[in-house]
Amino acid sequence: MSEVYQKLEKIVSEKYISNDIYVRHAYSRNVDIVLQGVPDMVIRPKDAQEISEILKVANEENIPVIPRGGGDCEFGGSKPINNEGIVLDLKRMDNILNLDEENLIVTVEAGISWAKLNEYLCHYGLYTGCMGPGSGMTASIGGGISHQSVGGGGCAKYGSCTNQLVSLEVVLPTGEIIETGSQANKFSKFPFNRFGNGPDLSGLFCGDNGIFGVKTKISLKVFPKPEFADYKTFLLPRKSAEAAAQIMMEIRRKGIDVYDTMFITDVVVELGSKQGFFPLWEHIKKKKGMLFYTIEANSEAELKENVKILDDIILSKKSEYLGSEISDGNIAKWHYTEQGHWQFYHNLWGMFPSMQPLSAECFCPIHMFPQVVRDVDQWDIEHNEDMQKIFNITKIRPISGSGPIPLVDGNNVEVTAGFLSFWKYYEGELYEIIHETNIRLWKSLIKLLVKYGLQYYMMGEFMSRLMVEIGAYSEEYYNFMKSIKQVLDPKMILSRGKYNFWEGEKS
Amino acid sequence: MSELKHLKEHWKDIFSCMGCGDCGYAIRPAVERYLVCPVKEARGDQGFEISFSRGRMNVLKSILEGKIPLSKELAEWVYECSECGNCTEVCHMSQNENIALPTSKWIDHIKVWEALRKDLIDAGFAPLDKHSNLIDYMENQDMKNPYGEAKAKRFEWITEFPEIKDTGELMFFGGCTMPLRQVETLKSMMKILISSGKEIAMSKEEWCCGSIALRIGNEQALTDLIKHNIEIFKDKGAKVLFTACAGCYRTWKKDYPELLGEQLPFEVKHITEILIDLINKNEIPFKSEEAEKISVTYHDPCHLGRHMDFYDIPREVLSKIPGIELIEMKRNRKSAWCCGAGGGVKSQFPELAIEISKERIKEAIETNAHILTTSCPFCIGNLKDAYDELDSEIKEKIQILDLIDLIASKI
Repeated sequence: MSEVYQKLEKIVSEKYISNDIYVRHAYSRNVDIVLQGVPDMVIRPKDAQEISEILKVANEENIPVIPRGGGDCEFGGSKPINNEGIVLDLKRMDNILNLDEENLIVTVEAGISWAKLNEYLCHYGLYTGCMGPGSGMTASIGGGISHQSVGGGGCAKYGSCTNQLVSLEVVLPTGEIIETGSQANKFSKFPFNRFGNGPDLSGLFCGDNGIFGVKTKISLKVFPKPEFADYKTFLLPRKSAEAAAQIMMEIRRKGIDVYDTMFITDVVVELGSKQGFFPLWEHIKKKKGMLFYTIEANSEAELKENVKILDDIILSKKSEYLGSEISDGNIAKWHYTEQGHWQFYHNLWGMFPSMQPLSAECFCPIHMFPQVVRDVDQWDIEHNEDMQKIFNITKIRPISGSGPIPLVDGNNVEVTAGFLSFWKYYEGELYEIIHETNIRLWKSLIKLLVKYGLQYYMMGEFMSRLMVEIGAYSEEYYNFMKSIKQVLDPKMILSRGKYNFWEGEKS
Repeated sequence: MSELKHLKEHWKDIFSCMGCGDCGYAIRPAVERYLVCPVKEARGDQGFEISFSRGRMNVLKSILEGKIPLSKELAEWVYECSECGNCTEVCHMSQNENIALPTSKWIDHIKVWEALRKDLIDAGFAPLDKHSNLIDYMENQDMKNPYGEAKAKRFEWITEFPEIKDTGELMFFGGCTMPLRQVETLKSMMKILISSGKEIAMSKEEWCCGSIALRIGNEQALTDLIKHNIEIFKDKGAKVLFTACAGCYRTWKKDYPELLGEQLPFEVKHITEILIDLINKNEIPFKSEEAEKISVTYHDPCHLGRHMDFYDIPREVLSKIPGIELIEMKRNRKSAWCCGAGGGVKSQFPELAIEISKERIKEAIETNAHILTTSCPFCIGNLKDAYDELDSEIKEKIQILDLIDLIASKI
């Protein structure tokens, strides 16, 4: 056993550290099936103090450290990219530390899942508003903050995960522990506000994809869950993306505080129905895009009034109301009342063995997304030759398009645009051809989308590198980000490899 | 390196797993989903991800990619799984029949774990020591049961019941656990059947059903056994074969036909199917209803519930026993928490099995029920072992009773 291992074992005790080959492989992949590297060890720390000591040892010994929450990043956010380093499994830190019912603020350890926290809050009639990412049953609060995640419900009303952030406890890459927001003032007895005390340094860690520090304690605003809600699903007319965008803009213009609005693209409806994923839409003859909304209210009258306005907006676009029950096609009811919001994106996973989404999750102004969806379709046609190469090997053609498009706060939507392809085709000796084609196609698609100025948020190491490699950042902005990283993490210990900041050995 | 014959047959299962992790962490109160993996939870904060499905699937991907080998060390991790199938439920279920998840087309977790176990056995890294003993006992001509008891012992209880015939259309398969460890429950069963005027037959030539060997991954141990068991009941004129053991039921009803590639020459039923028939015909002479109802909660055995989709009949039986009120546990039916005994865990890792059962008893106590009942002798055995380790003040809150004993107490 190495001296370093013994040093680390002393910090956390032997139960919480492992260099077992199988344990290490268990932590070598995220929500993707690609093995890029295997860590030297996995550690399950119990608190910020232990993490601080681990990071100090990592700096002394020049060992990369990869923090991991729920492990739900689709772009390699929490897995090693080389055969080295420490994976910090933060799932042991999943306690609720305090619920301040007076100020409606909850403080939790960063490894707790969105689902576990919301299960606790529901006993108090509360919820987190934005319910985290679509993988919120497993994804951690820390991961959501690190990625500015959306997709698990409630983002039209409450925005992304970081909108409700009040304060953070972060262990910096060199081991110092800081608190942000109101807690930057050492006399503050409890977290109550994010802003003030100088610049918004909480923001530095929001969406940082884990490069600036390890989040250990998080305080979030929580909200009383309104007593009344309604949810409806509509079949859109031809040119459904345009209709959906007009509806979303109209909802914003009328100031309706809709909880969720989601456009489900033609390709998702058609393909999903063909594959048998949506029995609720089997009876619909002409499969086209769908749109659903969920609206909450504090009284029946308020609900009725808002539902009428929403229905008027949507029906004026020649949409067809599908009925109130899930069996009628009302997916919104499943999404809200059965917490389907945490499973909605599972339809992209496991469609065929070894097939996975090679997509880009980005924020986009409402008015632009129909063009983005059209251009992704066009991109598919233009890259038919490459798609065909993959088909020739796998006998299944990659599927391009955009997944569900939810309305986010402000006049934005989240677009998940990309293609489903095969990563590792087991028994396929032609894997290298697929791999090379995938990377080329992915870069080309990312380039296309970047030129719209779209903002990626869940980037992991893969997307963050691609962004740099295709020159998406202005030189000044990239250098600014890099200089912050160099100050905070001179040895590039934390999440080494992301954004290509590391100039040492390349993977 | 091993040939990985069985795992390769399941590469589609393994590479369809995207690693979302819901098989370890899912909580979804709207559909009564409160966590998933009993082994992971019993390991508590010491549980690395290899303790549940996602971590294991990641390991299997690496094995199939040729990055790591099978080993004895891996077997120690793998056999900690009770094969309860709760991970499959979460992975497959949108919890609404109108929305299907793609993974349900490809992934059968239990088959994957069993394929891995078969490859570990082929490569010489399994069975583990305790499992090896079970197989030896099961194959021993003087035993033919995994408990290491003399063959004749499993039939000793029959001497008290001359009513049991040698041949007949309705035949009982006693299995191993009840006749060797819970004989009083068999006597209760006979009390019910005799009082209802139901005639049954048995064969003193039956062998262990082989469930334990299958779950461990030793299919070879079943080669002669299946044929033997089927032949003896066929020869005795069985039209219906019933069993009071959930493990035997799954093995007879599902595994035998799958392994043989053909239907059995008789129908296989669980004891509760026989009981509900008797109850519906008013043939069980229940005592008149007592003034105060006894509240009972029902534990779904994994081999009956998730493995066989058998949830309603035991509940129907309970609902029709006079003076009984059924209260469901927070996790029931498809979300039911495993007792921890299955998959060979009870024999190889008894402390882990008991730890899991304690959690289930705690959940039963939360319902304020007086009795925790179930319909599987293996669950009963493990729940009672866990119960014995609890403080007396906790024990006062609840009693553990087989469904058969519960009915017999009402006659």
